[in-house]
Amino acid sequence: MQGLGAAGLAAAGLGTAGCVTGGSGSESSGSSTLTLQSSLVDPNSSGAMQKLVDLYNERGGEASLNTVAADTFNAQLPTYLDSDNPPDVMVYFAGAITQRYGDRDKLLDVSQLWADELSEYPDSLRELSTDSKDRQIFVPTNYYWWGVFYRRSVFDQLGATVPTTWTDYLTLCEEIQAQGMAPLITGAGRDPWPLVAWFDYLNLRINGAEFHRALLRGEHRFDGPEVKAVFTEFAKVLPYFHPSSRSYAYQEAITPFAQGDAAMYLMGALITDVLPDDVDDLDFFQFPILDPGVPVAEEAPTNGYLAPARVRDPDATRDLLGFLASDEAQVIYCRDSQSSSVPTSPTADTSWTSELVQKGLDLLGVADDLTQFFNRDSSEELQQTAYTACSRFLAEPGNVDAILAEWQAAAEPIWQDQSA
Amino acid sequence: MTSRSSSAVAEPAPAAADRRAPGPAARPRRRRGRVPGTVWVFLLLAGGVEAIWIFWPALSTFYFSLTSWDGLDAPRFIGLENFTSMARDDVFHTALRNNAVWLAGFAVGSVILGLAMAVALDRPRRGVGVYRALIYLPMVFSLLVTGLFWRVMYQPEGPVNAILAAIGLESWQRQWLADPDIVLLAVLVAAVWRQVGYVMVLYLAGLKATDPALADAARVDGCSAWQRFWHVTMPQLRGVNTVVAAITVIDALRTFDVVWSMTGGGPYNSSELLSTYMFRQAFTNQALGYSSAIAVVIFVLTLGFIVFFLRRSFAEQK
Repeated sequence: MQGLGAAGLAAAGLGTAGCVTGGSGSESSGSSTLTLQSSLVDPNSSGAMQKLVDLYNERGGEASLNTVAADTFNAQLPTYLDSDNPPDVMVYFAGAITQRYGDRDKLLDVSQLWADELSEYPDSLRELSTDSKDRQIFVPTNYYWWGVFYRRSVFDQLGATVPTTWTDYLTLCEEIQAQGMAPLITGAGRDPWPLVAWFDYLNLRINGAEFHRALLRGEHRFDGPEVKAVFTEFAKVLPYFHPSSRSYAYQEAITPFAQGDAAMYLMGALITDVLPDDVDDLDFFQFPILDPGVPVAEEAPTNGYLAPARVRDPDATRDLLGFLASDEAQVIYCRDSQSSSVPTSPTADTSWTSELVQKGLDLLGVADDLTQFFNRDSSEELQQTAYTACSRFLAEPGNVDAILAEWQAAAEPIWQDQSA
Repeated sequence: MTSRSSSAVAEPAPAAADRRAPGPAARPRRRRGRVPGTVWVFLLLAGGVEAIWIFWPALSTFYFSLTSWDGLDAPRFIGLENFTSMARDDVFHTALRNNAVWLAGFAVGSVILGLAMAVALDRPRRGVGVYRALIYLPMVFSLLVTGLFWRVMYQPEGPVNAILAAIGLESWQRQWLADPDIVLLAVLVAAVWRQVGYVMVLYLAGLKATDPALADAARVDGCSAWQRFWHVTMPQLRGVNTVVAAITVIDALRTFDVVWSMTGGGPYNSSELLSTYMFRQAFTNQALGYSSAIAVVIFVLTLGFIVFFLRRSFAEQK
């Protein structure tokens, strides 16, 4: 009896690799129906996706939607890309991870689509969707913006005005704190990506987007003077964070923000998903400017579709991608998913968007450069090191030198692996 | 798990008497010769399924642990490199240390508390069933639900801190899951909370099988309650002890979900166990070779523990 337990346990411990190898293949059937694999599980987004697939089928296409949990989706993605019978089109995001898949010949070349349907897209999006072999391997269909979100009613009650410079911003924080409210909140507990946004933005404002991307590629050092300067400014806002920020995950931090216990939350437009009742009261301002000499960059995580290189019918797959990239399909998705994301197509109709979304679009429209987000500009693995560094800094700001040295040490092997 | 425990509960009941019963040793062997062919077919079927879905993946993990593999291209053989980088990996060291703390805390905590509950609730009296049911209740929840439940309990404005404030212990209030010094213990409490009921039920069954005449005799001879428990009852619980120890050690070493759902191994890896680190390496970082190497370490540790434990307890029983 105990022997069985031991074997079972051993199998449980040893099963990781096995289930990955065993999982490939069986998703799409032998028929000519295209499979669209999606990790968008919330009802609005998956409903919007289903509507797109239904519309495609009405017009003579043959596709089916397969929605899986995001964790499963991400874990299985590499296996699918290497499988002989992969899903034909997959929902994914633009950035370094996608480009690395392209560099390794795992993605379907969609350059023709870019030459025809997407020819009007801005160069920034084209570059973002191009791998190092100069092929377009990604079809962007929507993106969203980041900003410092606040509630109008709370700002009115505090008598606060929107700051534009870093100095104004710090003064505002001080004033809010003097009135007994936590000026800032973030989700620095489990999966502290909202905290990493602070690093991203301060680095973009102090050192610029070029430096930021190069740093994430391993061309600069985390323990160098530029990053040290970022943390020097970061330290100035630490006293203003709601003390429970360290415990909260991203959604948990919404509660004090919604209840008026904390005034500002640096967050992506996805905050509207979790605050649906208060959207009218919600507003945001651009992350303040620290150095007017640095070109203004904003985070604009871009989502869209990719296809594995080994799809059964590349032409049919490109047809489905073309449909998904059409203005009509982009608008249907952005409107129905209610995710505050906006179409990437420059010709798509955006008159239906809310005032808030329009303001977000304007913010991105005037930016000199756009970045994706830490993980999308580097890798999930490097983001884990950012989690460690930033959350440790939040707890022990005095140890910044040791923290940055450790960050560099943790990042180096990851960069080495990626260049190998 | 449940099927194992039900047979485990039954085990101590047929005491020494059965074992001494004169049984012709040859008969069972002759019977085995008469096993019908269909049974073998069924056995082979089950064995085949087990081999394909359990043993083959397990064995391939040993191979993957010697490779560098991100799941995208074919694994590249790199010898023992994963294991040498493991020796330099601080997070791995933290996880290993945490696993040792976890094993000790989980085993000692749930066994002592479970046994204490069983002894306290052994005698039939009014309402005892309600207490037993309540203590066993957490076992009904999955570990994931337990984790989410305790995540709420430990929120900075949550019940734990509220209770501490209500009884005047404000200075004890903490950000339980954000403080690297106490987070592991905080998660441990949640895991033990769930396990205690299970251990209690095993011991209750064991206590039912003890001979009340022995305890009565000891009482007549003037033994104190502690002496009766330690010198009279405990020796009769030896069989249950083995089962409880094996189950607790296995449960401790395979812990994953409760930690993953409560902290994800954070803050900054301070509650990382080998299992959560393995999972992160495999499915977040796509470092399947390295995570396989961690899996091999978990396997070796577990096997070592179980072999050591079972050999010792069987030796004791002889």
